[in-house]
Amino acid sequence: MTMYGPSGVDVGDPSEGSVDPAETPARPPGRTELVPRLLGPIALVVVMAALGFLLSDNVLLTLQEVLALAVFATATNLLLGQAGLVSFGQAVFYGLGAYTVALGWLHWQLPFWATFVMAPLLGALVAVPIGLVALRARRLYFALSTLAFSELAYQLAESRYDFTKGANGVFGAFVPTALTYPRTGYLFVLAVTVASLLLLWKVNHSPFGLVLRAIRENRGRMQALGVNVYLHQLLAFVISGAFCALAGAMFVVYSQSSYPELLDWTTSGGPVFMAVIGGMGTFLGPAVGAFIYQFGHDELVRYVSDWQLVLGVVLLVIVMFWPDGLLGGLGRLARLLRKRRGDR
Amino acid sequence: MDLASLVTPLVGALSAASSLFIVAAGLTLVFGALRLINLAHGSFYMYGAFLATTLAAWSAHTGLWIALVASPLLAAGMGVVVEVGVLRRLYAREHLTQLLATFALLLIFADLALRFWGKGVRGVSPPRVVRGNLELAGAPVPLYDLVIIGAAVVVGGGLWLLLSRTTLGWKIRAVVDDPEVLAASGVNVRLLYTGVFALGALLAGLSGVIIAPQQAVEPGMDAQIIVAAFIVAVIGGLGSITGAAVGALIIGIVETMGASWAPSWASTFIYLLMILVLAVRPWGLLGTPER
Repeated sequence: MTMYGPSGVDVGDPSEGSVDPAETPARPPGRTELVPRLLGPIALVVVMAALGFLLSDNVLLTLQEVLALAVFATATNLLLGQAGLVSFGQAVFYGLGAYTVALGWLHWQLPFWATFVMAPLLGALVAVPIGLVALRARRLYFALSTLAFSELAYQLAESRYDFTKGANGVFGAFVPTALTYPRTGYLFVLAVTVASLLLLWKVNHSPFGLVLRAIRENRGRMQALGVNVYLHQLLAFVISGAFCALAGAMFVVYSQSSYPELLDWTTSGGPVFMAVIGGMGTFLGPAVGAFIYQFGHDELVRYVSDWQLVLGVVLLVIVMFWPDGLLGGLGRLARLLRKRRGDR
Repeated sequence: MDLASLVTPLVGALSAASSLFIVAAGLTLVFGALRLINLAHGSFYMYGAFLATTLAAWSAHTGLWIALVASPLLAAGMGVVVEVGVLRRLYAREHLTQLLATFALLLIFADLALRFWGKGVRGVSPPRVVRGNLELAGAPVPLYDLVIIGAAVVVGGGLWLLLSRTTLGWKIRAVVDDPEVLAASGVNVRLLYTGVFALGALLAGLSGVIIAPQQAVEPGMDAQIIVAAFIVAVIGGLGSITGAAVGALIIGIVETMGASWAPSWASTFIYLLMILVLAVRPWGLLGTPER
């Protein structure tokens, strides 16, 4: 069993073993294995829902943001960890989702529920032309291309004052009153998060997800097999864009505003960091990374002014010494322990 | 339209292009030899500018002249530390790792700079010899604009001489194509990498001093310049010094023209231009495709 983690991020890098490690457990899954496999996620959701009734309002508000970021990071990791496409432009869709809700209310008085459903659809729609252009470039140039789109979106949002209210952003009562209470807001965002992660999990573990990983590991071979690489990557880009936009719409429940910084390239960098911190070779890694990142931020800024310094050092240490992130590292540890026990 | 009304904006555009070129040249030089995007380039630039303001505050007359030597040296020193301490260990890894590492460094340097220099906006006026305006074809031209243009010519010419006329230059060009063969022929490739990286940092520090009298020196200028330098380097073609010059000219002219004709569209147009170039020639106007 091999990691399909950071070692294989460069598309076409044929090193590092098999193509589909996530689905090749040491033993074939029998009925006895299926129950415990479902038990973990279900327990997690139950605990998270219960927390909605236990935690204080402040923490619940933070958790709203964290959950939006968790979806943002997981959707970005579909490109990063699965397809091996390093995008620094996912904030385009995140911001688009937030602006869909805000501007729909501002200009056309659209109800929140309508714009909330529209957000991922618009995200997918906008991802098509951006993906068509950006995917012409590869590796580093793809990253730079998506970064340029992110900056373009930021500039547009900032300079088109009549439509977007410019740098001020859009504030208003576009979120239904029921969702402005920390607890209901949290439970709503949690429900959307669970649904999104389940869908993304399905994508990851579908034949399509398998082809994405195969392209990442050996682009040339997949092309020779007759796989349309461009189309597969475009589809991944569109799916990721849709979920990033949904995450942006979720973020509005927390922020009740939308502003240009949501589109800028440093916002695009956020989910990449989260994925790296949590481990982009694992499905839940980016979501865990989002928790650590946002909670770390909120706790640290209270005590020290040098939040960036701490983030920089943590990031540097992870990148240099622990490249498969927290969950990747824990997975390695668990396998090591299991092997030890098996040897005995 | 007479000549005089054209001269002032033209010199302005050339001066904007020149300052962009000096920053982008270092970035693209490092990418050319090391295949590495160095986001911390912006930090070296900012530290150069900050040190210049400190020295100018310490001695109004000679401070900036001292900074002209001290800032590049500080930046080069930081470059050596970064290369030996961090980047050297990451050359074998993929682009994302290197990109993230230099981004982490950008964050670290930014917060450290806040500790040393605080949050305020700092300024420094140009040395007395190059203050004021000059009459050129009947139009007033800021003298310091000409200094920046001159500096860009010197840097560009110097880099061209270095790369095409010296042994060190051919080593730098050779290391891109085949580091193994170069090492086998007795060149200390590790030292060469450190040297090139330090040279790139030196250029960033130098541009920091040169630009300091013309722009607000403040926190955040590091991330701001790195995006601008990127656009220039990417449009021209990463790794190509001539490309950086061409890219800087294009952006300088578009920026200056845009600022007078359609101010609210100027920056949007620049990113559109970058996307257009990346879509048609992902490796830039004068760059070479990745293998």
